[in-house]
Amino acid sequence: MLPPILFNLFNGLIDTVKLEQTIRTTLAHVATIANCKLIADITDDTVLLQSGLDSLGFAMLVAQLEEDLGIDPFSQMQIAVYPRTFAEFVTIYRQAQQDGNK
Amino acid sequence: MDLLRQLQQANYSGIALIDSEQVGYQQLISGALALRQQYPQLQQQGVAIRYSALPQFLTALLAFDGWCSALYLLPETELDIPEQVQHWPCEPSVIQHTTSCSQDTLWYLATSGTTGTPKWIAHTFASLSRAVKVAAAQSSLHWGLCYQPTRFAGLQVLLQSLLSGACISDCSSGDAEQRIEMMLNSGVTALSATPSLWRQLLMTGCLHQLPLLQLTLGGEIADQALLNKLSALFPSARLLHIYASTEVGVGFAVSDQQAGFPLSWLDTHHSGLAFKIDEQHHLWLKPLHTPDSNLARRLDSEGYMDTGDLVHIQGNRVQFLGRDSGIINVGGNKVHPEQVEQVILQIADVLQAKVYAKASSVLGQLVVADIVVTSHTDRAKLQPQLVGHCQQHLARYQIPTRFNFVDHLSTNATGKLNRKEPHG
Repeated sequence: MLPPILFNLFNGLIDTVKLEQTIRTTLAHVATIANCKLIADITDDTVLLQSGLDSLGFAMLVAQLEEDLGIDPFSQMQIAVYPRTFAEFVTIYRQAQQDGNK
Repeated sequence: MDLLRQLQQANYSGIALIDSEQVGYQQLISGALALRQQYPQLQQQGVAIRYSALPQFLTALLAFDGWCSALYLLPETELDIPEQVQHWPCEPSVIQHTTSCSQDTLWYLATSGTTGTPKWIAHTFASLSRAVKVAAAQSSLHWGLCYQPTRFAGLQVLLQSLLSGACISDCSSGDAEQRIEMMLNSGVTALSATPSLWRQLLMTGCLHQLPLLQLTLGGEIADQALLNKLSALFPSARLLHIYASTEVGVGFAVSDQQAGFPLSWLDTHHSGLAFKIDEQHHLWLKPLHTPDSNLARRLDSEGYMDTGDLVHIQGNRVQFLGRDSGIINVGGNKVHPEQVEQVILQIADVLQAKVYAKASSVLGQLVVADIVVTSHTDRAKLQPQLVGHCQQHLARYQIPTRFNFVDHLSTNATGKLNRKEPHG
């Protein structure tokens, strides 16, 4: 039996992996309908606007994630944050999910 | 007074533009005078100019305004021009005599009409340059041109830069990262862009490196989060958002860094305009100058014109909600729902289609379609067919980003689609 603190940490890690997987799946799906060709290997450091997704594709990604996850972190901000890399993008969603769970 | 004469009178001595080379105001003026000498056959004729580079384009505008009867600024997409209009550049003439008489030139810009098909709209130089601010602080600015100067938004920036004696560089091509690099390299200090383009520039993570003194947002509704972000990055810069009604041909700028405009403007004149809101929540404007004759018939008894823009009052601000006509604004690109519906309805299995806007935190609005299909339709197969068909017949920003299959679409008493109903 895991101590509660490790259990929570473990669950948090699973949630993060799941979230990133959802974002990757949605990204691939949106790229197809937006007629964008994604670069082969999207890593944490990939610059979003150089991933093959243009601004319309990016807008569609955010709209689709709102349907899949029920959140649009970009519409709720008082001072907007603009992610440059894929990792920054995932972090914004993770943060928004955590804020929503509080 | 024509553009060339205005610049001759202003007698600016600085740099007018930085391209692959630097071109000074006096150099532009002498280039334009040389063009008039070289092409006397174009005097009092209509000329169509395609944009390739700033030095040639600016010299041609200076030479031909006040010299030719009409200037057609050719858009990137093909659009027919009247037969007698000559394309520029062309062969120089062998005749070498010119008369010095000046004439009012009509400027033609391509605009998507109500059907979505581009058409030519005539402007006078006076109306195009009405919003230009000339002040000492303006002349030291270096503008980054974010839109082709054959488009209304680009031309406005070009004229602002020229008439105020500022400098301008073309940053209108490439993705956001490439544009920022061009702006950094040429030392841009002033930018005018749609909120959507500002968001993309912010996403590069490099925007703060630009020493911006003036930031203008236009062409879409400016939201508070974006205004907050920009004012935090550039606390001492002038930050404006512009409202322009192409319907009414007037506009105003809001400089207090708050979305919408102050409620108090409804009681006082501002920017040479009087404001009112009708029962349908439309914003009406009354220009203090006499409107162009083609607009005069649209005035109400008090002299106001309907902008067709929906507004609502929130505290002490009037906030914009979008167009009442249902025109969708995708990152500054206007989409006519009817045009998209016509394309979707060309597919045999689609019985009804309703196209509308969905709010987007990235591009302002996105296009969405609700469709009714025949009962035997395989929806999984139809989806890619719809996307493919739209890709063939529509520009990317016009293609619905989502197709919702619905059982029915409500129509009003006259059998038209009910566009005010909540969407499916």
